[in-house]
Amino acid sequence: MGKILSPTVHLFVTLAWMIVAYWMIFLYAPQELTMGEVQRIFYIHAPSGWVAGTAYCIVFLGSVVYLWKRPPLADDLAHAAAEVGFIFCSCLLVTGPLWAKPVWGIWWTWDARLTLSFVLWLLFVSYLMLRSYVSSPGRAATLAAVVGIIGFVDVPIDYMAIRWWRTQHPQPVIAGGEGSGLDPRMFLTFIVCVGAFHCLFSYLLMQRLRLARARRELSAIRRALAIRPSED
Amino acid sequence: MVNKYLLLAFSALWVIFFLYAWSLSWRQAHLGKELEELKNKVGRGRPSDSRPS
Repeated sequence: MGKILSPTVHLFVTLAWMIVAYWMIFLYAPQELTMGEVQRIFYIHAPSGWVAGTAYCIVFLGSVVYLWKRPPLADDLAHAAAEVGFIFCSCLLVTGPLWAKPVWGIWWTWDARLTLSFVLWLLFVSYLMLRSYVSSPGRAATLAAVVGIIGFVDVPIDYMAIRWWRTQHPQPVIAGGEGSGLDPRMFLTFIVCVGAFHCLFSYLLMQRLRLARARRELSAIRRALAIRPSED
Repeated sequence: MVNKYLLLAFSALWVIFFLYAWSLSWRQAHLGKELEELKNKVGRGRPSDSRPS
């Protein structure tokens, strides 16, 4: 993707898309009748959750490919997606309580959706901690890939939680079946926000991948230099 | 007046993103510095490598 879209153009597209999204959030989308202004948190809260889900799907795919064929790029991709996904999942968990407090009167409740989102955040943390604490890089990559695959179970259950069980969290407004739905202007704003957040995610992912590649190259040079004296 | 929870949520989001972007650029700069040090080391080693045996 780096060859298709230069980092500068990618950043510019992300910023432009974000500006449009912000304009739509505050000036285009109508105010919700019961919750009022605070409902606009929805436009950053829900896309953060969608991006966190996308990120874990990439962690899962990267982990499967790494365990199957062992290409270093798959491991780098999974690691980068876990780190950036952790950032978006943290945004989800920070903006959620800030929306819940004025609407529900409480910051947090252990209902199925909230608990499973917290589990997703813990999975990202576990994956990243494993990468940091296991000293052998090959072993760390293998163990993290196992966590990446097992933990993926949480993603579809988290998505379906508000469809399967009655929760404190609102029922789905997108793909929620009969009776659900949004005002067309709210829906369009939401879609633009999901796109903008995915664009920001892909930008950060590319930057994180560049870092991983540079780190890998640096260790290869170090190894080559360490080997050289014995070859002479 | 802007709702304080709305303001907090949007601010928190950008604080998190900027901190992460800063951490990424710091790590990239650190890696660049390491690479530069390595190049200097290799550069210093070169004259002795080319010394006639």
